[in-house]
Amino acid sequence: MKNNDTKAEPIKEELKENIQKIKQDLGGSDDIIIREITFGKDDSAHAAIIYTDGLADKKLITDFILDSQTQKSYAEELDREADRDNLLEALKALALNLGDNKEIADFRSLYNAILSGETVLLLEGYSVGIAASTRGWKDRSVSEPVAQSVVRGPQEGFTETLRTNTSMIRRKIKDPNLWLETMQIGKVTKTDVAIMYIKGIVSDKVVEEVRARLDRIDIDGVLESGYIEELIQDEAFSPFPTINNTERPDNVAAELLEGRVAILVDGTPFVLIVPTLFISFFQTAEDYYQRADISTLLRFIRFISLFIAMVGPALYIAITTFHQELLPTQLLISLAAQREGVPFPAFIEALMMEVTFEVLREAGIRMPRPIGQAVSIVGTLVIGQAAVEAGIVSASMVIVVSITAISSFVITGYSMAISVRMIRFVIMGLAAAFGIFGIVVALIALVMHLCSLRSFGVPYMSPFAPFVPADHKDTIFRLPHWAMSTRPRLINQRNVNREQTSKPTKPADRNNQGRR
Amino acid sequence: MAGGEKISIRQFTVLAMFYTIGTTILVIPSTLASDAKQNAWIASIAGLLASMAIVALYIAIGRLYPNTTLAGMLEAAFGKWLGKLATLAFIFFSFVGGSAVLYYMGNFMTTQIMPETPIGAFIVLFGGLVVIGVRLGLEVLARTAEILFPWFLMLFIVSALFLLPEIDLANVKPIVGIGLKPIAKASLAYTGTATLPLVLFLMFFPAALNRKQGAGKALLVGNVIGGLFIVIVTYLSISVLGADFSSRNLYPSYALAKKINIGNFIQRVEILMAGMWFLSIFFKAAFYAYGFAAGLARLCGCKDYRPLALPCGMILIAYSLVVYPNVVYMMDFDSTVYIPYAISTGLLLPLLLLAAGLIRKKPGGRTNE
Repeated sequence: MKNNDTKAEPIKEELKENIQKIKQDLGGSDDIIIREITFGKDDSAHAAIIYTDGLADKKLITDFILDSQTQKSYAEELDREADRDNLLEALKALALNLGDNKEIADFRSLYNAILSGETVLLLEGYSVGIAASTRGWKDRSVSEPVAQSVVRGPQEGFTETLRTNTSMIRRKIKDPNLWLETMQIGKVTKTDVAIMYIKGIVSDKVVEEVRARLDRIDIDGVLESGYIEELIQDEAFSPFPTINNTERPDNVAAELLEGRVAILVDGTPFVLIVPTLFISFFQTAEDYYQRADISTLLRFIRFISLFIAMVGPALYIAITTFHQELLPTQLLISLAAQREGVPFPAFIEALMMEVTFEVLREAGIRMPRPIGQAVSIVGTLVIGQAAVEAGIVSASMVIVVSITAISSFVITGYSMAISVRMIRFVIMGLAAAFGIFGIVVALIALVMHLCSLRSFGVPYMSPFAPFVPADHKDTIFRLPHWAMSTRPRLINQRNVNREQTSKPTKPADRNNQGRR
Repeated sequence: MAGGEKISIRQFTVLAMFYTIGTTILVIPSTLASDAKQNAWIASIAGLLASMAIVALYIAIGRLYPNTTLAGMLEAAFGKWLGKLATLAFIFFSFVGGSAVLYYMGNFMTTQIMPETPIGAFIVLFGGLVVIGVRLGLEVLARTAEILFPWFLMLFIVSALFLLPEIDLANVKPIVGIGLKPIAKASLAYTGTATLPLVLFLMFFPAALNRKQGAGKALLVGNVIGGLFIVIVTYLSISVLGADFSSRNLYPSYALAKKINIGNFIQRVEILMAGMWFLSIFFKAAFYAYGFAAGLARLCGCKDYRPLALPCGMILIAYSLVVYPNVVYMMDFDSTVYIPYAISTGLLLPLLLLAAGLIRKKPGGRTNE
């Protein structure tokens, strides 16, 4: 840790020494550009401009700092400033007509500034430098969100740049109460992490808790918000995500308006949202843009899908193995006929197909794009049809696995869908051993586990348990906007009222209006 | 011993309801029918009314000691050592009750659904679930009950509706053909199974409720709603299966569900309906186990009952394998020994507690109210 100590050293007055030290500390990396310039009357002022090539906006630097014309005018201006002691102040005021600049006094902040894309100006004879904000690098442009696409709604998604992302949220909420706090996490990566919330709506305790948990993090690097998620979540050992993530600015804005806190991490388009409820994973931004009745129907479909994705194969196993009497006789006969040539018990059959499907899905995500076709052909033809014809699995099993797979895609929260995939196997095992009794036991255990979870102090299963009647206006049902007059109660207890729009009414008398 | 856990009035109502239904829904129609024949449903209503009086007693005790658990109440009323002895009686009650419920569950599964699986497998699985529940604590159990209640309700309503076409009113006639004595005896059996075990709720009632106001009403409402479910099931089983068949069948509700036949398509759905009993039996077992663990923790002076969940659960599981050697013994025990035992623990002890509490409170206690 000797290195760290030297980095905290104050900047010296001698320019040469400073430059020497910078070169030495950064190992002479080629992308660190150090330009020494002289200016002022009879070139009396020596200065060095330091920036990182690629991170700093070169055009900005040329226009405002290195441009000879500008330098000349600066020099003239400086001449007027007779007092040479004030050179730095003068430079700060005049020369760097850039949005933002700050003084730095030690090497640690100097390196931090340079490596974040700022341009540092050091002056001979001064032990402070100026860091000018010239951040500008090659950046992916704002594009449609990949993981959460919608039919109706804004088609923009977050990018990898923190500042772009915060600006996208700001553009949605133009309120002075939208507060932003930035900190750096990661001893080596020094990743910018920002938390955003609406003061006055958010519960201060939650903000405090988020701050405390972020402060507790001591890690070398943060490369994605998943790092943060795992380091601050409430329950370390749970298959269920207690922190939601989204790449949609409108989603974040809506959550902020409900009194939640957004955690943005530089370098990833996925923004974390706390506190998160179980129900959040079954709602989409689009629910609020469509008509209320349609949204409600879609939410019902999502819950049915959750049920199928979780216990579909398990039910098939349980019924065909233990409870054949449940099936109508015709169906039972046809099932038995299909299964006649299949050498495995239903559980093994289901396990094989499920594992195959998971493998296919993983392959679909990981492999190079051009090969995509191959996997789908292999998947559908070989595993679907050929396996049935070869008598390895029954056709009904393929149907069950397919429905299960499709259902799991309906769950809007990807992190929730993954946990459901995982839990499915456990329930299948219990169903194979105990039939429906096993499934019920598994479900009770699951519900108990879910009820024991909390996300930043808020019970995970609310508003189901504890039951909050008012919040059911926007849980499974999505009432029209004029009816959803309150914010979620457990997330925020102070500023509860959301709106006072009354229900839209028809014009008093249409005939009269038409005549006028 | 609630350890700062708080549950809401609504949750408490649902818990009381689940606990009242418990195993009762599965076994009581048979017991009632064997005593009161076609009037079993009248007996269940009589039992429901008697239950209300018993619940009133528990509420009175709760009013007397609003901020302490059962063990604390007993010690306050009877003094340290006698109180501890009385606590031990309750612990034993919950211990026997808990293992009996586990046995019921296992026995139901092995005799009715999966005869080839050894009973131990069911008991261990279900016992494991109970251990998880107690370990997660009262709050989680209460929330779980809140979530599962709609499912229970749905299954119950569906099965009751589907059974309507099967009702044969000739089975319930003549309506008052049986004397009062069998009805009284039957209603006693109802009370013993459904309501007297509620005494264990004093372990956290009303200390763990977030609002004391309305707590008593919640207990009463929960008990009465649970009782109504049982009255309906009893009526259905008498009117669909007939008194004779109901009394000879160990699990008439299950036989009842087998009768469901809608358009020759929805039939033999008894296993789905069984899901409803799994739920209620789970809560019954969980609160017996809770009473066992929490009482033991209090008796030993432990701060938290949760670490005791696993050992207590293991003892319960082991004991449930031997609690009844066979079904004949079980039926004999339930109809002869269990009811007096339940009355002594669930009625006499609380009465003594109330009396002692009132006497102790009288001299200086008026100001407390």
